[in-house]
Amino acid sequence: MGSARHFIRGAALALLALVAIGATAPKASAADGPLRIGYSDWPGWVAWQVAIDKGWFKESGVDVDFEWFDYSASMDAFGAGKIDAVTVTNGDTLVMGSGGSKGVMIMLTDYSNGNDMIIGKPGLKKLTDLKGKKVGLESGLVEHLLLLNGLKKAGMTDADVEIVNVKTNDTPQVLSDDAISAVGAWQPVAGQAMKGVPGAKPLYTSADQPGLIYDVVTVSPTSFAGRKDDWAKVMKVWDKVVAFITDPKTQPDAVKIMAARSGVPPEEYVRYLKGTKLLSLAEGAKVFKDADGFGSLYGSTRNADDFNVKAGVYKESQDVKSYIDPSLAGAK
Amino acid sequence: MSASPDEVRARFDRLKAREPILQVRGLCKTVPAKDGERTILNDVNFTTHRREFLCVVGPSGCGKSTLIRTIAGLEEASGGEILVAGQPVHGPGPDRAMVFQGYTLFPWLTVLGNVMFGLRMADKPKEEAAREARQWLDLVGLEPYADAYPHTLSGGMKQRVAIARALAIQPRILLMDEPFSALDARTRARMQAYLVDIWRKIDVTIVFITHDLDEAVLLADRILVLKTGPGEVVDLMEVPALRPAAGRTLDDPALRATLERLEGFIHAHETVVDDEPVTPVVRLASVAEEVD
Amino acid sequence: MLGVLSFVLPLALWSAVSYAPFLWHPLVEITDPGDVAYYSKGMRAPADAFAEEVEGMTASGQAPPQGIPANPVYLPAPHEVALALWAAATPAADAREEFRLSSSLWHSIQIIFWAFLISSAIGVPLGILCGSYSAIGRLTEPFVEFFRYLPAPAFGALCVAVLGIYDGPKIAIVVIGTFFQQVLIIAGTTRRADYALLEAAQTLGARNLRLVRNVVVPAVLPDLYNDQRILLGWAWTYLIVAELVGTSSGITFFITQQARYQHFENVYAAIFILGIVGFGSDLLLARLGRWLFPWRRTTA
Ligand SMILES: Nc1ncnc2c1ncn2[C@@H]1O[C@H](COP(=O)(O)OP(=O)(O)OP(=O)(O)O)[C@@H](O)[C@H]1O
Ligand SMILES: [Mg+2]
Repeated sequence: MGSARHFIRGAALALLALVAIGATAPKASAADGPLRIGYSDWPGWVAWQVAIDKGWFKESGVDVDFEWFDYSASMDAFGAGKIDAVTVTNGDTLVMGSGGSKGVMIMLTDYSNGNDMIIGKPGLKKLTDLKGKKVGLESGLVEHLLLLNGLKKAGMTDADVEIVNVKTNDTPQVLSDDAISAVGAWQPVAGQAMKGVPGAKPLYTSADQPGLIYDVVTVSPTSFAGRKDDWAKVMKVWDKVVAFITDPKTQPDAVKIMAARSGVPPEEYVRYLKGTKLLSLAEGAKVFKDADGFGSLYGSTRNADDFNVKAGVYKESQDVKSYIDPSLAGAK
Repeated sequence: MSASPDEVRARFDRLKAREPILQVRGLCKTVPAKDGERTILNDVNFTTHRREFLCVVGPSGCGKSTLIRTIAGLEEASGGEILVAGQPVHGPGPDRAMVFQGYTLFPWLTVLGNVMFGLRMADKPKEEAAREARQWLDLVGLEPYADAYPHTLSGGMKQRVAIARALAIQPRILLMDEPFSALDARTRARMQAYLVDIWRKIDVTIVFITHDLDEAVLLADRILVLKTGPGEVVDLMEVPALRPAAGRTLDDPALRATLERLEGFIHAHETVVDDEPVTPVVRLASVAEEVD
Repeated sequence: MLGVLSFVLPLALWSAVSYAPFLWHPLVEITDPGDVAYYSKGMRAPADAFAEEVEGMTASGQAPPQGIPANPVYLPAPHEVALALWAAATPAADAREEFRLSSSLWHSIQIIFWAFLISSAIGVPLGILCGSYSAIGRLTEPFVEFFRYLPAPAFGALCVAVLGIYDGPKIAIVVIGTFFQQVLIIAGTTRRADYALLEAAQTLGARNLRLVRNVVVPAVLPDLYNDQRILLGWAWTYLIVAELVGTSSGITFFITQQARYQHFENVYAAIFILGIVGFGSDLLLARLGRWLFPWRRTTA
């Protein structure tokens, strides 16, 4: 009896003394390893899952590793140079670049078409009804941009409302607070906010301003310069994905794959898909023309740049052109 | 059956003729206090000889434990020197072993493991250490309990293990700080007999602290009496009897007289006893041991 | 007996709040929207607003909405959670790996295991040295003391930059969160080693490292063991932030993802399983402790 104890005590000490090196992460990719792309929970990006599950990348002869992240963790990983590309908004591409992690937007995945919204309490009908009232949203993020855009169109400014900074995930609870008249949130949080306060409805959504926020694939300049052919193949696959998801015949299959990735029932997922306008390469090519206004990635990004500077996200205006590489996505 | 004065004198002459084992010279101990320093021991001088049994008595708080801990090397002297077999003491050493009031057996070791401890620290090979340890256990009558853990033993048995553990390193001096005061009267009497029995079988000098004056008179060759505030030697008393324990009883008029003188000393100094507790760590440990 | 009761009581309270319609239930779940334009089936409306609508609709001769008292979605009923637990135990064959509770949990357990092992391999010896030698303690502890107030999650991005995107940074966050506490706690426990035993050992010839190895460590081992149990629980709390770093994985990802889509019955199921795993392993460790340290009767 005593000796068994002795043995275990000894073993416990030995175990403590053992300096274990944790699972060593794979090394940074060489010039010919797989392209590593970070993606996160947004319908336009979850769409890639279809290609992953169907094995379309292999068919096209390109080796890619998609890594699933929390959105902000994906930007951290890109910033740290641990992945070659990341799916983000055009505005956040500037934010990463201003912090020193320069990336170029080489293709579009979608724009938000109603998935981002400003939701008003029952009784409120238009943005102008918010004059002098409190709006809860996460300042500096896309809902903030959306609100400013809406206010401007309604002939108001941000001085006309009082912005209360809350986490997007908390907006459903915040909306039921008496002091708050509206919140800004994206799906699925927005839907939950409306469910929780019956009668609450969107006052302004990203569908009212298509192109306000573009979702893109941002690639590190080095990877893009060195492996342009591979990236071209990735983009080809994207066209196939968009076709598969938008075709009513194959859509249920697509939704099933995407819903599984997000961990929700397919019937619930269809709703979120609706608020997203997926962009085929042909559609994207038009957006890649330099122009003012939200019909162009350039115009939209310049607007985001203004917003970022005004909202204090970063100090100096960024050179938008240097963040966009139309060489693959632009019209031929 | 009292010993004649001549017999006693001859015995002490023989004792003092033996080589001195422990010499304490001008020992002082001060500790920092609120208002500068406090003197605990002041100019303590005495000598014990080989195979002597010395008891130390004195009122509570007079510095008995401090004295024995300084001899053990657990505390630094502030002044004076301590020689063991002529060598000055710096820190604990294998020439002195100590038995504490609170047993202080290692609870994670078996009885045998405890007794082997000092031998292992002296780099004795395991088998040899075990064999020797068993002999010491045999001496205190606990060989059958070699594989038991200390928490399964009674207080008297624990203290016997502690004695075996101390003796196993074969020290010149065995230092004992109130070793039997936590035991009940019957056990204490038995332990006293054990101790004297063992002491007679081996070549060891014992310095034994007690506040039980009867115990001192029954066990000691000589009794060192301390007074308090600060601790100083009052007397080094010779017990007018033949060797310790053997046939001693307190009915012996000579021993009665010694006891009364001792009581007189202690009484005379008891009025100045300060009410501060003794070294707290030791006390707390012994309390914890008892509750267990 | 009381132990069982301590679980039964909260469960009873939860059941009462969930099933007794007169307890709390501040909302009404719409079963039939009637003629109220903006109501739909399954929506939860505040009870007073609902009452107003019923009154208004009845007054104007339209069909009033119907509904049953309900709690906010954030508090699912016990049976819903039980069903979710059952679903988690029997995942659909085509469920993604990350949404199988068992495999996310297993992944998390591995993170904790490695993190705790690494942290302990350095933290325990260092803590013992700090507690045994005051010089080492004075050299190390101020820095450790300072560092333990820095929030481990703040190092997330740095950990990713250094250790990559997979399990490396997660383990690192848990290590950072645990290690500094560990050094201090272990050092404190070591200092509380029974001084009388150390003195006894010194009189028997034990010195320096041998004293530490042969006396200090075994003397405090049962306490160290209990410290480690507490620290292990601590490590679990850091898992929640650690798993949001780098690629999404583990039980936290499961929980946050389910919460994002407001499937709170799944969230609660996961929380329950975490509780069971934590409580169960602690119970097991306590038993093991009693067997390993029989002289310590208070190894509860
Ligand atoms: N490290 C120390 N710092 C301060 N005071 C001390 C220290 N050690 C001992 N003392 C004080 O010195 C005095 C003598 O203590 P000591 O323990 O030696 O007495 P004692 O004669 O053994 O008493 P008792 O008979 O109660 O055991 C006490 O007043 C005690 O409070
Ligand atoms: Mg004392």
